[in-house]
Parts: sequence; structure tokens; C-alpha cells
Amino acid sequence: MAADAISLSIPHSEPFHGVARLVVGGLAARLDLSYEDLEDLQLALVSVLERDGYAAGPEITVRLLVGEGTVGIAIGPLDAAELAADLERQSEHGVPMRRLLDTLVEEISVEERDGGHWLRLEKHVAVAQSSNGEEA
Amino acid sequence: MREAGPRTDRDLLRRYHDRGDLEARERLIEQYLPLVRSLARRYANRGEQLEDLVQVGCIGLIKAIDRFDVDRGVELTTYATPNIIGEIKRHFRDKGWSVRVPRGLQELNVRLSQLLEQLTIQLERSPTIAELAKAAGVDEEEVLEALESGQAYTTVSLSAPSGHGDDADLDPLESLGTLEHEYEVSEDRAVLAPGLRALDERERRIIHLRFWEGLTQSQIAQQVGISQMHVSRLIRRSLEKVREEIATGRQA
Repeated sequence: MAADAISLSIPHSEPFHGVARLVVGGLAARLDLSYEDLEDLQLALVSVLERDGYAAGPEITVRLLVGEGTVGIAIGPLDAAELAADLERQSEHGVPMRRLLDTLVEEISVEERDGGHWLRLEKHVAVAQSSNGEEA
Repeated sequence: MREAGPRTDRDLLRRYHDRGDLEARERLIEQYLPLVRSLARRYANRGEQLEDLVQVGCIGLIKAIDRFDVDRGVELTTYATPNIIGEIKRHFRDKGWSVRVPRGLQELNVRLSQLLEQLTIQLERSPTIAELAKAAGVDEEEVLEALESGQAYTTVSLSAPSGHGDDADLDPLESLGTLEHEYEVSEDRAVLAPGLRALDERERRIIHLRFWEGLTQSQIAQQVGISQMHVSRLIRRSLEKVREEIATGRQA
């Protein structure tokens, strides 16, 4: 199956984060993902969206990428310096971002494109044998 | 000085109502605390912490004691029970959920929490949205909407004051005979990090299990003895508390 993508640009403010979360939910339903996988994806996404200092502008784009047994989330553009520092920080404060994301997704990378820095997360998902008889 | 000898409910009620004896009122509250806990337990696993429900139930008990008519021929238990239940139900209706979340969605969210537990056991894996929808007899979109409505619930819960790492801030009821005491916070120095000090013991434990031990939500739910959806809410709430704590620390 070729990778499908959904792209969503929203104002970088909390009331709109729920919109992004719902889109992930819709995708999870479409792909027949488990509740736990959905929760992990949503928590990873919201944790990034709500991190202070990541915003590189008033708007943020979330791209959901569907691959074979994977769901990717690309979030950007983000503040490169803040993002890099946060991912490297072992942290004396709270749950370090790297630890949090490592728990929730399998792959984390930062890529530069469209003139900005994007955080790319990839989760391996078990696509259940569809209970509605449709191809996921 | 406390008077010797057993006191019946009626004696205590008369002392309180006729003479304003607050000690008598306190003793009645203590005596009826097991009833409150027992009733609160019925409403646990619906997305609220048992201890929160016990506190809410205590308000119902106190109202019942205050309003009780000693001259009527009914027992305090009979009078207090509907008051306690009523207060807990009112809490779910008015306090636990944002007023913007329609009642139907709140109820579906509660039902989904139960179905999630059942299906996880039955299927021996986490169910899909479609499976939850089928079990609940609703559309997948309604399931997603109801799950999303749980976010509103969490937001409202967060509006309550939270502790800041000082034991004095913890509600005494939080520490009554809970499993959390078995958890040694010294297991990992990280859990003592400044941001995590904003969490209570159970929240720290859950965060530790999830992000340091790598347990899944359902595994944590089993270990802690609460529903999976409740674990999910506690994780989100805890992370939000930590973020707020760190932000406050930076501003200080």
C-alpha cells in the first residue's frame, strides 16, 4: 500500500490541539488501530504541541503518514534550537521529552524541510484483522 | 474530655442539634465513613478516583447529619444513604464534566471505560475503535467523540488546586490505606525531579511505571487497580501538572 498522508494546519494554540487529536482518532478508526496505539499517538502529538518554546510561528502543521504497519506524525515547523536541546536533555525536570516519546513511539527524528525543522515520529502499529471487513 | 460509654446515633444527633456539640457531629461522621466508602465504591471505575468520591460522599453525609430531624422515626442510615448517593451523582453531573459536554457523551464515555476493560480481558489485547463501537452499539464517530469528551473531564479536574510537593498539601483522605504507600519513590532518583514533585504518590507511581518501567496502560491499570481509561487520564493530568510546575519554576 502506498503511503497515505493527511495534512492539517492549525493555529498553534491549545484549543486547536483537540482538533489534531480528533484527526488522529479518525485515522486510528480508519486503520483499525487499538485503543492503546491511539492513546500513544495522541499523547505523543499533544505533548509536542503543548511544549512551551517549540512554536516557530503562529501556525503549526501536523502531517499524518500511513505506511505498512506504521503511522508517522510529522509536526512543524518547530524551533530548531529548542527542539534539539529538549530532545538531548536528560532532564532534571519532569519527564524528559526523549523518554516520553521513546515510550510512545518507535522512531524519532528531526528533519529540515520547507525552510523549517520538523519532528518526525513513527509508531509501529498492529493493524487488527478488520472487524468491519474492509481493508484498512 | 470525651464522655465515657457508648453513644447511639440518636444521642449524638441530639447533642449536636440541641446543644451544637461539634464533637458529636465529628463522631457521627467518623462512624458513617465506612458507609460513605461503601457507596463511593459503587461509583468507582467511572473515571473518578475513589478517594475523590469519598470526599464528595462525605459532603452528602454532613448535609444529612445537619438536616436530620431527630424527632422523625427514621434511622440516620436510611436518611443519609440517598443524600450521599445524590451528592456523588451530582458530582459526576456538575463537577466532573464540563457543562459543554452533553450528558449523552458523558454517559457513553463512562460506558466505554467499562467496555474497554471487558474487551481487553475478552480479546486479550487492546480493542479497536470499531470493536468498542460495536460493543457500545454506536458509531465509531460517536466513540471518538466520547473519548474526546474525556479531555473536557480532565481539564475540569485540573482546575482543582494541586499539591506542590509538600506533604501538607496532600489531602489526608488521599493517604488512607492506599496501595501507593507500597511504592518506594526512592526507586528512581528521577521521580524526585522538581517537576514530578508536583504529583501525588499515585500519579508519580503511574508516571514511573509508564515512562521508566515501560508498562502499558492496561498493565498499569491491573497493577494499580483502576480502570485503563482512568490511567490514561491520570497520565495526561500528571504530565500537564508537571508542565505547569516546571513553567511556574521557570517564572519564579
